[in-house]
Amino acid sequence: MSTLRIAGGRIIDPANGVNDEVGDLWIKDGRVAAAPTDPGARADRTIDARGYVVMPGGVDVHSHIAGSKVNAARIMRPEERRSEDQVMRRWGAFRSGTIGSVPSSFATGYQYAGLGYTTAVDAAIPPLGARHAHAEFGDTPLVDKAMLVLMGNNHAILDAVRAGDPARIEQAVAWLLDAAKGFGVKAVNPGGVEQWLQGKDRISGWDDRVDHFDVTPREIVTALARAVDALGLPHPLHFHGLNLGIPGNWVQTLEGMKALDGSRAHLAHIQFHSYGGTPDQAGDFDSQVAPLAEYVDSHPNLTVDVGQVLFGETTSMTADGPVGHFLANLLGRKWYSLNVEQEDGCGVVPITYSDRNYVHALQWAIGLEWFLRVGDPWRIALSTDHPNGATFRSYPDVIALLMDSGLRAEALAKLPERVRARSGLADLSREYTLAEIAIVTRAAPARILGLSHKGHLGPGADADVTIYAPDDDKRRMFALPRWVVKAGEVVVDDGELRSAPGGRTLYTGLDVDPEARAELEGRLAREASFHPANFGLKVDDLADPLEVGPKEREAVQE
Amino acid sequence: MNMSRVDPFTCTFCGCLCDDLALTIDGGTIVEARNACDLVRPRLVGLSTARGNEVGDDEPALARAAALLRAARAPVIVGLGKSSNETVGKAVALADRIGAVVQVGGPASGPRITAFQRGGLVSATLGEVKNRADVVVFWATDPVVTHPRHWERYSVEPVGRFTPEGRAGRTVVVIDRERTATAEKADVFLQVDPQNELELLWVLRGLARGIPMKESRIEHATGCGVSDLKNVVELLKLARYGAWFGGPFAGRGPVAQAEARHQAVAGLVRDLNSPTSRFVAIGMGEAGNAHGAEAVLAWQTGLTPSVDLGAGVPEALPGATSGVERLARGEADCVLVVGDVTLDDWPDAARARLTSTPWIFVGPPESPLAASATVALAAATAGLDEDGTVTRVDGVSLPIRAVRDRGLPTEGDRLVALLSRIEASL
Repeated sequence: MSTLRIAGGRIIDPANGVNDEVGDLWIKDGRVAAAPTDPGARADRTIDARGYVVMPGGVDVHSHIAGSKVNAARIMRPEERRSEDQVMRRWGAFRSGTIGSVPSSFATGYQYAGLGYTTAVDAAIPPLGARHAHAEFGDTPLVDKAMLVLMGNNHAILDAVRAGDPARIEQAVAWLLDAAKGFGVKAVNPGGVEQWLQGKDRISGWDDRVDHFDVTPREIVTALARAVDALGLPHPLHFHGLNLGIPGNWVQTLEGMKALDGSRAHLAHIQFHSYGGTPDQAGDFDSQVAPLAEYVDSHPNLTVDVGQVLFGETTSMTADGPVGHFLANLLGRKWYSLNVEQEDGCGVVPITYSDRNYVHALQWAIGLEWFLRVGDPWRIALSTDHPNGATFRSYPDVIALLMDSGLRAEALAKLPERVRARSGLADLSREYTLAEIAIVTRAAPARILGLSHKGHLGPGADADVTIYAPDDDKRRMFALPRWVVKAGEVVVDDGELRSAPGGRTLYTGLDVDPEARAELEGRLAREASFHPANFGLKVDDLADPLEVGPKEREAVQE
Repeated sequence: MNMSRVDPFTCTFCGCLCDDLALTIDGGTIVEARNACDLVRPRLVGLSTARGNEVGDDEPALARAAALLRAARAPVIVGLGKSSNETVGKAVALADRIGAVVQVGGPASGPRITAFQRGGLVSATLGEVKNRADVVVFWATDPVVTHPRHWERYSVEPVGRFTPEGRAGRTVVVIDRERTATAEKADVFLQVDPQNELELLWVLRGLARGIPMKESRIEHATGCGVSDLKNVVELLKLARYGAWFGGPFAGRGPVAQAEARHQAVAGLVRDLNSPTSRFVAIGMGEAGNAHGAEAVLAWQTGLTPSVDLGAGVPEALPGATSGVERLARGEADCVLVVGDVTLDDWPDAARARLTSTPWIFVGPPESPLAASATVALAAATAGLDEDGTVTRVDGVSLPIRAVRDRGLPTEGDRLVALLSRIEASL
């Protein structure tokens, strides 16, 4: 394979303590390499990056890009993919596509790479949906993909939690992860979706009991978090909490953080879980970011991604079926809901975030507050919970708001007056530096995911590199990288997409105890609507699979 | 003895897509098909699995087919209702490259998806019904005849976590034009003239919502007694978990009203989701892989079930971008048919145009289409000769496994060969 030298750029590589240092980056065989000792060494290709900003490729820790609910959103919403600026034209070997809030699969890869993102994690795949999602991954080029597997309402998990046997819980987690060829473990409204499916009263507190299974959200979440740690998974439990979107939910959010003491956990789209006030009374809705951010800052076992809201039309989609039901009734718009056996629900509802709407405006402010209040940028990842808060294509807008307090003040001035009184945003003058942006968009999410070969530019790292032209207009700077390198290949050259290699599928290899497997598959044979042999995927079913995780790390250490 | 087994085997004969068959092959013939229903057993047992050698030198045919597609200014790709998901992906790639209209699935796909785009749908995988449903409605569909194992495997008889009594714990409602075989086994039967189906759906929704309506008008519009209707609605509203099953056109009435009926069902079922009840609507499922084909086209282009790629971007408008209707209007100058489609489903005008339009058939050599096509390229049949993936009506993707080897290329192989020849000559 050829060598590439990125010469004379301003390298920003926070994971390796490099902050805006002019230097060369050498790439060989798809990985970052040490500079050759021979000062006269020449590369097969040299990019003259003098004056340009060089960062690792972007890493999205929480996004919805593949699988049945994503595809249902595409099918349900042709209206947002008709205009000239919402289509991608076929050109050369590139496929045509449509965009909207949920781009078609090839367009998803092209659009991510066009922003300098080279890794994206789909945060909510039911085990039974993994076969479909992996097939879509195969048609999503340019980014490395991984999926988080839903387990917070899974019957095998709930049964094991009730039995209270940690070994059994670990085996059930390993079995589900192995069957789905997933990367990490996700819990969405643990127990609450199951309770909704039973048509029972909503689960709203940590010690509410889920009928029939006789377990509580506290028991489910702590058990899953411990199992994830005990199995040595690279990424901690990825957690979508209770009462998403409901005023007053910050109390349960804080309680959940405390419940997770002693385990690692990543709290997803934390913006949607940081609301003061009382349910059903929009009037006293306010921001409660301050106490939550302070708790995260002082508890190194926790990380968050934001789920920033931006104004405009998008599509809400969640594995939290009851939230989909709530939104459908609230908004009165079309609603797709799919209850998936053994696991959960999913809801898809179009939504328009309006800057004239007090609640939406406050959601916008609360997301920004999170970025500005968490002191340690390594603990927070940039996300819009694509497409829930906004599409991933708007990441440059979020970056611009973080880097420019004037821009924020300007935007805030246009919002309903009450937003300034009910959030602390107006008092936060912090502006992100380029290095901090590099942390929240690449280095931190890679570290949070436990991907040691991502998010940095040290020797041995994946040669995923983005090169930006410095610009006072930060939105423009981050929207149009000049070069993007994926696994050593220049895929964006002079601002244009030039090639579209497939990207890899990252999965966690785990051993499953044969006895546990037999028992769990036996249960499937009784309860599922399909043959247990058709549940699990094989590595061959994945597009360009790459095993990461405990076994791979052991091999490296040896 | 050369006995072998294919276990589990996924049957693609009807929309059930049962994936638990076990085939025993002895001496090159399927001798046993465990778990097969009476409908499919005769098609499997006795089937020869011996390796064939049916393809001779087909290079001239391939070259001719590629030349036809390359020269076409308005090509149309249709069929793909029984193809694997992998094949559909290759067909869409070819369509994108040559700027074709690509239409997947059958005639029922369009109205069903248009209705979905208007209102959405509350649905579930079939295992949810098995494990939770206490009320099951069969709307103008007769699964005992058309989907023989649906009743035992998914919807009525299975014992599940919340349905320990199986059949005894479920109330089964059949609404249909006559007392069908399924109705004979139901707890409640409501007769409706197919012409009144749409009215009946809206009346049921109105009653469920408690909207005041004149009883005489209800009876006039639906042909049903008001007290019967109220009883059915009460039953639906009291469901802990209800499941509404309907056929491809959501009824037996005019096809032109299929979209409206689908929408009316979706609206009724949405309303039946109260704080204490879940209610879902699920299609009976079409034979083969229409649902998988729709999904693949959607993820690759963002649109489905019929997409015009002629302008270099995916475009879809119901009717306007239908491949079959394009052909019927004389707006196609070359047609590629993938798989053994039923031409009887097409409008007369489209069938008539085929006689004057060059067309290529990719599919089983014994199909009558192979003899009438301008160029025929023999291909294996998904579900019998080819491994791959199909998708059930509820979105569950399942592997299919080959049981015989006729020595034929797959449909996907044919499409890839066509694309590479076309690209080589550009």
